[in-house]
Amino acid sequence: MATHNIKHALFSAIITLIISAPILGLDLESAGTELKLTGASTSTLVSIVLAAIVVFLFQTFRDSIMGALGQMPKLNRFADREPMPQEKRLKLENIFLIVLVAGALLWPFIASRGSVDLATLVLIYVMLALGLNVVVGLAGLLDLGYVAFYAVGAYTFALLSQYFGVSFWVALPTGALIAALFGFLLGFPVLRLRGDYLAIVTLGFGEIIRILLNNWTSLTGGPNGIGGIPDPTLFGMEFGRRVKEEGNISFHDFFGIAYDSTHKIIFLYLIALVLALVTFLIIRRLMKMPVGRSWEALREDEIAARSLGLSRTGVKLSAFTIGAFFAGFAGTVFASKQGFISPESFVFLESAIILAIVVLGGMGSQFGVILAAVAVTVLPELAREFSEYRMLIFGAAMVLMMVWRPQGLMPMRRIHIILKKQE
Amino acid sequence: MQDLLYFIQQLINGLTIGSAYALIAIGYTMVYGIIGMINFAHGEVYMIGAYTALITITGLATLGVAWLPLVLLIALICAVIVASSMGWAVERIAYRPVRGRHRLIPLISAIGMSIFLQNYVHLAQGSRNMGFPLLIEGGFRFGAEDSFQTSISYMQITIFITTLICMTALSLFIARSRTGRACRAVSQDLGMSNLLGIDTNKIIAATFVIGAALAAVAGLLLGMYYGSIDPLFGFIAGLKAFTAAVLGGIGSIPGAMLGGLILGVSESMTSGYLSGEYKDVVSFGLLILILLFKPTGLLGKPEVEKI
Amino acid sequence: MNTSVKKLVAGIGASIALMGAGSAFAEIKIGIAGPMTGPVAQYGDMQFSGARMAIEQINSNGGVMGESLVAVELDDVCDPKQAVTVANRMVNDGVRFVIGHLCSSSTQPASDIYEDEGILMITPASTSPDITERGYELIFRTIGLDSMQGPVAGEYLASLNPERVAVIHDKQQYGEGIATAVRDTLLENDVEVPMFEGITAGSKDFSSLVTKLRDAGVDYVYYGGYHPELGLILRQARQANLDAVFMGPEGVGNKDINTIAGEAAEGLLVTLPPAFDEKAENQELVKAFEDKDEDPSGPFVLTSYTAVQLVAEGIEQAGSTDPFEVAEALRSNTYSTPIGTVEYDERGDMKSFEFVVYEWHSDGSKTPVN
Repeated sequence: MATHNIKHALFSAIITLIISAPILGLDLESAGTELKLTGASTSTLVSIVLAAIVVFLFQTFRDSIMGALGQMPKLNRFADREPMPQEKRLKLENIFLIVLVAGALLWPFIASRGSVDLATLVLIYVMLALGLNVVVGLAGLLDLGYVAFYAVGAYTFALLSQYFGVSFWVALPTGALIAALFGFLLGFPVLRLRGDYLAIVTLGFGEIIRILLNNWTSLTGGPNGIGGIPDPTLFGMEFGRRVKEEGNISFHDFFGIAYDSTHKIIFLYLIALVLALVTFLIIRRLMKMPVGRSWEALREDEIAARSLGLSRTGVKLSAFTIGAFFAGFAGTVFASKQGFISPESFVFLESAIILAIVVLGGMGSQFGVILAAVAVTVLPELAREFSEYRMLIFGAAMVLMMVWRPQGLMPMRRIHIILKKQE
Repeated sequence: MQDLLYFIQQLINGLTIGSAYALIAIGYTMVYGIIGMINFAHGEVYMIGAYTALITITGLATLGVAWLPLVLLIALICAVIVASSMGWAVERIAYRPVRGRHRLIPLISAIGMSIFLQNYVHLAQGSRNMGFPLLIEGGFRFGAEDSFQTSISYMQITIFITTLICMTALSLFIARSRTGRACRAVSQDLGMSNLLGIDTNKIIAATFVIGAALAAVAGLLLGMYYGSIDPLFGFIAGLKAFTAAVLGGIGSIPGAMLGGLILGVSESMTSGYLSGEYKDVVSFGLLILILLFKPTGLLGKPEVEKI
Repeated sequence: MNTSVKKLVAGIGASIALMGAGSAFAEIKIGIAGPMTGPVAQYGDMQFSGARMAIEQINSNGGVMGESLVAVELDDVCDPKQAVTVANRMVNDGVRFVIGHLCSSSTQPASDIYEDEGILMITPASTSPDITERGYELIFRTIGLDSMQGPVAGEYLASLNPERVAVIHDKQQYGEGIATAVRDTLLENDVEVPMFEGITAGSKDFSSLVTKLRDAGVDYVYYGGYHPELGLILRQARQANLDAVFMGPEGVGNKDINTIAGEAAEGLLVTLPPAFDEKAENQELVKAFEDKDEDPSGPFVLTSYTAVQLVAEGIEQAGSTDPFEVAEALRSNTYSTPIGTVEYDERGDMKSFEFVVYEWHSDGSKTPVN
């Protein structure tokens, strides 16, 4: 074993001690009017020391451990498999999709109220992630302010219903179109920026929208948000206990059944399901159309794509606008589900989570993105006992996934031909 | 006369905050200059620096150490050591393994690290606002006794002087020292420097450590200046400092300084003459405008499109 | 069938039986929703400690209608968005009585859900009048309103003959609501209010605001909001030699303001509910808190205690756990509680509630003025 290994291991162990001992080992507490420093519990101190020892041992035997890991069988045995022929794959995909939708349709009738509610949230994230997938995964435009369009959709519905009494079904297309308009207007000047600069400008834009919502108190209610957003109606039937709008009747009265708040939850879930499916199918269609191909062409090689006569601005703008459109869609459903929205729902972290879903799923891959949306939303709920550690684990998982499986859960597969090796 | 004094006061307020932003911005700009990635966890390193300083100051008070320069010096040293170790560890764990991959990968990894560190401190120290003891009090005043007076507190002077010292030291270090020269070489061409025998891994780690150390200094200064810290306050400051770095031209150290000052002054002028609510809108709006018309920032070098 | 499978089946059977048995001893779930984390978690501590104590004492005295109370505690971080999530979770958990929320901006959207889902809610801390103004059946509170507190503060400030008073708020429902009430009272009393401005909650740099205050030449500043921001404003104002007296509502009256503002907190004026823990008839209860090493002196400890007590007595009187019947009982009866006699009007507000002006000191103590 090389001495430099030990030296490095010792160094790493000391760094571990330095970064954990003061923050974890000492507690700041307010005692009366002053701050007081107390030592953490013995178990914390022991675990700090243990952590340092583990780091030391790992770094000392790093080479052999990594070597042993390398010899383990590959986790994904299908990774090197040849892609299926296109027809067979399409067929398989369709079957998978039908099974998925059938399962999702059955879900609300077997699951509890809480899980249906959660499933609605998952579907909202599916819509968002599919939309962002167009921008980031397909067109390769780094958008860190995607949540702004989500906010525009949600606030459009909230404001329209508050000031003009507009219903969900009118607000749904309106919200999506206004979000798309925002996308278009923002996209126009900024899309000539490249890579990271685009990311920064979109980040700035997202923050500006949030700050405006937070401060324009007279219109948006500021940090207090907007409440009383109506639920969707079914042919004029309302799902609340009492009818809010004149002329409507309530669902349970119409069918002569007892009021049950789960009706509303299930109805919302089904709407979200249909909308997510529509989003999925539209984007899948677009991917196979010339515009979808040109998104990918531009992502792969901008100069080559331009030299073939693609309009850079036009192609990028279409991706940006379409992505914003679906964010607006999702925003309207979200506003209706919550019945209340405030700027806190549209912080940068939300953009980061949606982006993480896209990257985690495998950029460009629709099924992967759906899988990741389910994982990112459901896993933290399952670990409710660890709710304190939820975001800590989420952050660590983001880092680990990027280190170990950067291509995502289900990487996008291009249809391609493998040329035979020369003898 | 009173209007002028009022203007000068807002200018001083802005320059104070601006120079602290500049200190944090160095971290962003150096890392971006060398490996072209946005170190999203930098704001959290700054926050950890502030927490370490507060822990040290409280600990020293318990031990009965009361001589102010000694307290500040020890707090500064501890904050710098912990934050630079954090900077080193973050680079090692989250960035080095993903270096050179698709540019979204390090970005997500950095955002993940930022979320992780925020919650790490949140869990360890709680989410409440911790009051920073008032160590440096008093200041100078100008103007007539019975009308508006411009005041500069000793704390503001401390911030100016410390920033000035740090910036001068950094410039000298980059210009004169061996490591500094290597830093410049690596930021020009990483592959070539590697070929010429520069240990690029070490240089990249050094950039993270230097950035983190300066952020820790800013953490101590701003913690004392504002008066309280919480686990979330690194994120906002990081975003501002990052804006400053881009404003001045990301990758350029004088640019970060300039960007920080412009940002600080524009913020305080907005709150002084319009309303404090919209100061962030003005800073981000300014950022977008500058990027649209001069995408490389005020002092950045134009990027050549490589084919 | 081998033995291990048999064991497994037996185990599952037993646990199903146990689950059945569990529901036979029906418990009454009491939801407690408030901030456990976040900048104003101090107030959440008060709320939780008061409510827990009440649940404990009621259970040790035989529960309610022979059934024991079980607390379901959830954290809303005082954020409206999380409050909605918490409210939905209460619904999903089958909770029918909620003590909470704390911040008005959280209570407002959460109460929409509670009313819709038939859950009775008593807030021990939210003072915004809007909450009970919507004609809801199931929403109550054990604290006064900003429309009572604001005039108390405004009248007191006016009685000091100020030259100019600045009114600042944090734009949240609570802060802005009370600041507006104070400003209106000041204007009615012909006091000049040159500044009425909002700040962003959570920001740290108030040097520009302080400069503005100095420029406006105010001698009094009223702040509607919570202590983390006011603490910083006080401190930065002192650093910049702003010579004005500050005043705030009960959201700032907390010892943590001293750790932030230090000496600058001396002389701060605060409107608070009267110190219930100093009343003679509450001394036994105060001792119970002190035995558990808890502080009963915070403004919301005993209001939370009372809220739980009201739910319990309401259930007893209604003879049912149906929230609508309990609400009916609460409206039609009078209760004697640690915060005095509670009598509700149609909206769910207490018919009388008093606020007192205190002077805050740099050691965290307070003395009533006049």
